[in-house]
Amino acid sequence: RGSRARALPDRALVNCQYSSATFSTGERKRRPHGDRKSCEMGLQLRQTFEAAILTQLHPRSQIDIYVQVLQADGGTYAACVNAATLAVLDAGVPMRDFVCACSAGFVDSTALADLSHVEEAAGGPQLALALLPASGQIALLEMDARLHEDHLESVLEAAARAARDVHTLLDRVVRQHVREASVLLG
Amino acid sequence: MAAGFKTVEPLEYYRRFLKENCRPDGRELGEFRTTTVNIGSISTADGSALVKLGNTTVICGIKAEFAAPPTDAPDKGYVVPNVDLPPLCSSRFRSGPPGEEAQVASQFIADVIENSQIIQKEDLCISPGKLSWVLYCDIICLDYDGNILDACTFALLAALKNVQLPEVTINEETGLAEVNLKKKSYLNIRTHPVATSFAVFDDTLLIVDPTGEEEHLATGTLTVVMDEEGKLCCLHKPGGSGLTGA
Repeated sequence: RGSRARALPDRALVNCQYSSATFSTGERKRRPHGDRKSCEMGLQLRQTFEAAILTQLHPRSQIDIYVQVLQADGGTYAACVNAATLAVLDAGVPMRDFVCACSAGFVDSTALADLSHVEEAAGGPQLALALLPASGQIALLEMDARLHEDHLESVLEAAARAARDVHTLLDRVVRQHVREASVLLG
Repeated sequence: MAAGFKTVEPLEYYRRFLKENCRPDGRELGEFRTTTVNIGSISTADGSALVKLGNTTVICGIKAEFAAPPTDAPDKGYVVPNVDLPPLCSSRFRSGPPGEEAQVASQFIADVIENSQIIQKEDLCISPGKLSWVLYCDIICLDYDGNILDACTFALLAALKNVQLPEVTINEETGLAEVNLKKKSYLNIRTHPVATSFAVFDDTLLIVDPTGEEEHLATGTLTVVMDEEGKLCCLHKPGGSGLTGA
């Protein structure tokens, strides 16, 4: 139960919490939640989903999204967003569109999509992109590294293309699930 | 009609089923839910297991690290279990420090490890007085639908059987440990404790493997841990209605 004091009169409050298991990384992670990175991730997820969920339809309510990472091998933000999209759809919360995310980097004048842990640790620029595929609108774009603006276009395009591929997969999975569920319900 | 009755009078609804010696999900009173196990799926952990008892889903990941052995037992290592019940698994849990149920479960698992001698702590010692292994067993519940203790014990046992520790030699000259990642060996699991939980209904009826709803309606719970030789390792009866010895 969320606190009444934080209830918004005209829309729903979206609350995201990111937690990664202690065994998810190579080195055992001591603080699974409450540390700075987890709080930042939670905030980014909240900002992403506030852009996508139709919060006006549920005033004075709270939507909690809890994400638990079991194994981290790069692209955790993207995996969290994709998983949370499916979860929100499964819960029946109305959304503007799917939110599909992917990470991208730039190594040796080539844009790379969906970086693994080894590629992220190499230290090149990395970009996280969350996309609403139908309209092509960007829900969240984050990059904190040095990248020449001439290259931004290609990296963004690589991430967007990968996000759209994820959308095709998620769409197919959701439709199949609905088809199976409606067959069971008769 | 049945759904309405269930909401208004859940206990009566249950009693109707129990009178016929069965439960709403179609099980007998002594029947377990469908159990699935997936072992070794987390490659970053030294050992891992995912257990599903019906809808209850629990994952156990084990990480091994070095530590100095305890001063009062220089030839032993450590096994540190921790059960986490995040708000993700059920709306009854809030985010924040571990609640009462998680702490009780952690202590229960620690007792099971200690009493059943599932691994000898001496096996975890590398160099007496200087270096030993510490196994951090982190158990996370992903979906809470009752009978969490059974699932945690099962996941822990499966994960411990999956753990592979590399060979460690202490270099005589430098005194530093050299880890040989190419040579890994499994842990020596001495016993296989299995937990069975019961819910007590109306002070007389015992049903096995209660779901979340059944636990909520029950007047008491009982958990028994036995190993494969029929030896009792742990008996956990936290309050609730009294049971006679019979």
